Amino acid sequence: MSRADAGVRVGAVAYHPRIVTIWETFLEHFEREGLPTDYILYSNYERLVAAVLEGDVEIGWHTNTAFVALEQELGGEGRILGMRDVDAEFATVIVTRRGEAFDDVRGLAGKRLALGSRDSGHAAILPLHYLAEQGLDAASECELVRFDTDLGKHGDTGDSELRVIRAVSEGEADAGAIGETTLAAFRAELVPAASGLEVAWRSPTYYHCNFTALPSFDGDLAERWQAALLAMSYDDPTMRQAMTLEGVKRWLPGDRSGYDALAKAMAGGSQGT
Amino acid sequence: MTRRRLETEGLEFGGGLEVLLAAAFEGLAVGERLEVVTSSRSTALELHGWARVAGHQPVGERSPPGGPYAVEVERGPFARVLAGRLPARTSGPPLRGGELHTADLRSPGDVPASADAGSGFAPLGAVAEVGAPAFRWTFNERDAIWADDVAELAEQASAGQWDASRDIPWDAARGLPDFMERAVSQVMTFIAQNEYAALYVPAGFIAHVNPRYHEMLMWLAGHVHDEARHIEVFTKRSLIGGQSSYALASTELSLHTLLEEPDFSGAALLLNVLGEGTFLDLLRFVERHAPDAATRAAAALAHRDEVRHVHFGISHVRRRIAADPAQAAVLVDAAERRAAKLTQMSGLSPLLSDGLTVMAAGSLQPAELSTGAAAVRGLMQAMEVNRIRRLQAAGFALGTARHLSDLHTPNLM
Repeated sequence: MSRADAGVRVGAVAYHPRIVTIWETFLEHFEREGLPTDYILYSNYERLVAAVLEGDVEIGWHTNTAFVALEQELGGEGRILGMRDVDAEFATVIVTRRGEAFDDVRGLAGKRLALGSRDSGHAAILPLHYLAEQGLDAASECELVRFDTDLGKHGDTGDSELRVIRAVSEGEADAGAIGETTLAAFRAELVPAASGLEVAWRSPTYYHCNFTALPSFDGDLAERWQAALLAMSYDDPTMRQAMTLEGVKRWLPGDRSGYDALAKAMAGGSQGT
Repeated sequence: MTRRRLETEGLEFGGGLEVLLAAAFEGLAVGERLEVVTSSRSTALELHGWARVAGHQPVGERSPPGGPYAVEVERGPFARVLAGRLPARTSGPPLRGGELHTADLRSPGDVPASADAGSGFAPLGAVAEVGAPAFRWTFNERDAIWADDVAELAEQASAGQWDASRDIPWDAARGLPDFMERAVSQVMTFIAQNEYAALYVPAGFIAHVNPRYHEMLMWLAGHVHDEARHIEVFTKRSLIGGQSSYALASTELSLHTLLEEPDFSGAALLLNVLGEGTFLDLLRFVERHAPDAATRAAAALAHRDEVRHVHFGISHVRRRIAADPAQAAVLVDAAERRAAKLTQMSGLSPLLSDGLTVMAAGSLQPAELSTGAAAVRGLMQAMEVNRIRRLQAAGFALGTARHLSDLHTPNLM
C-alpha cells in the first residue's frame, strides 16, 4: 500500500533533519501495528496548527505553545492522543555561573536574565510566568537578554538555549532560563559552556509536547492510534535509535492537566518585552 | 521497596557526579529507590532533570534550609545498553613470561564453527548490543578459512616486523658494474611485481572475513603488511642503483589469474603453498648469490616472512582437506582452472633467468656464466622438489602433488 493511502496523517515540524529519520522509523512501527500512518512536515508550528485546524492532517505533534495556540484558535478542547514521558513532567531551570546561585527569585532583580526564543514555552514564556508568580516581574525588574533564534520552532532546535548558557558562561548575562532536559543533554554532550554553570532555580513542573487531534477525529481510530503509539518500546532495537532522537523512552496517554499555566501566560500575554 | 542511600557530598553535575549516579543506578533493580544526598542545593535541583532523561523517576525530596538535600529516585525499567548482562569477571588470559599472546585470548574450542553473517565489529569477548545494522560477511564458516596455528602465526608476524628503510645496509648496494646492476634490478623488479599480488590476494579477503574470526583478521592484516614491506624493499633495491627494468606482461598474466580465485582455500593453495613456496627457493637463491649486502639482507628478511605465509597455507589446506577430503579435488580444480588460463605461457621469462644467471655467475665471463646457468637449473630443480614436498605436507597424495606442481605457473608466483 502506498503511504498516500494511509488512514492517519501526522503533522510535525521539521526543526532538524533527524525528524525524517524519526518519522520514517515511527511509520514502520505504525505499519507493524496495523495502523498505516503517514507524516507531513511543516517548517513552523503556526503552519502545523493551521494544517490541523484545516484538516490537512488528522494529528499534530505539537509543542505546548502550539497546543495552547491550537485550542485558543479552536475555541475548544483538542483531543490529546499521547505525549513523551518527559513531557508529563517538564521543568525550566535558571542557571548561573557556579557560586553565583540565588536562593530567592528576588535575587534576580536588577540582573541580566537570558531567555531562549520568545515562542518557546520552556525557555521564555513559562519562566517569566513562574517568576512573576513567585514575586519577580522579570520583564520590568531584570534586563532581559533574548535569543530569538529559530522563531516558529518554539525552541525545539535548542539553539537559543545554547546561546543562553554561553551568554551566562561568558558573563553577558547573570542567569539564563533553559529546559531542564536541555541542560541534562548539554551535560551529557559535555558542552563546554555548561561546565561552569549551576542550577539556581527550578520551576514547577508542567506539560510539554503532545499529539493533538480535533474533537471531530474518529474516536475509534483515535483510540487505536493511541494504543499503537503506546505499544512502541524503547527495548525494541529497531525503535531505540529513533526514540532516543525524539527524546522519549516511553509514550504516555497524556492529559490536559499540565497546560493551565502556559494557557494563562499566553492569554495574559506574559511573553515580556 | 528497599530504600538505599547515596552520599554524593559536594560532587557536581559536569564534575563526575553522573559517573557515580550511573554506577549506583546500574546496581539497582527496576523499581528500587535510591536516596541521593548532596550538600549542594543546585545539584539537588538538577537531579530531577538528570533522572528523567536517564529514564528514572524522581519520587520525593527533602530540602531542609542549609542542607543536606536529598532527592529520592526510583530506578526506571530501561537498560542503558540493549544486551544481556556482562559475564562475571574472570582472572583474564594467561601471560607468557609477561607477554600477552593472541593465541591465549581464547581457547581453540571457543572459536565458533560458524558466525552470524550480519554480526559487526564487536571485539573478542565483547557483548554486542542488539539493534546494530547488519553486515554481510562472506566468510562465516571457521573451516573455510581456519588454520590451527593462525594465532601463533599472527603473533610471529607482529614480532617479526622490520623496517625497509633502516634495516637494509643501502650504502652497500651502490656502485655495482652496469651488467650486474641491470641483472639485479630486473630480478628485484620481478619480485616486487609478484609481491603486489601477494598483497592484493589477502587484502581482498580481509574485508569479507567475519570479524568473529579475530585471529584470522590479525593474520591477514599482518600478511598484507609483510607484503607491503616486500614491495617496498624490492622496489627500493631495484631503484637504488639508478637502473630501470621491465615489468613483464607474462608476469601480469600469471598474477591476474591469481587474483581471480574467489575461494579462500584455493587462494591459499595457489598463493601461499605454491607461489610463495616457490619464492622461498627463489629468495634463498637471491640471498646466496647477491652481489651486495643490501640485496642479500632484503632477500633474507623477505624469506623470513614468506616462511610464515607458506606455513599458514600448508596448515590451512591440510586442515581443510582433513576436515573434508572432497576439498582436495576442489583445490586441484582451482589449480587446473588457473593453468588452463596460462597455456600461452611458455616458461620462465628469459629476462629473469638471464638476471639470475648473471647474479650466480658474478661476471659475463663464459666459465662463470656456465656455473651461473647450472645454478639456475639447480634452482628450478629445487623448486620442483620442494613444491611437491610442501604439497604433500598440505595433505595431497604424491601423485596429486606432482600433478599440481606440474600445473604451477612458469612465472613462479
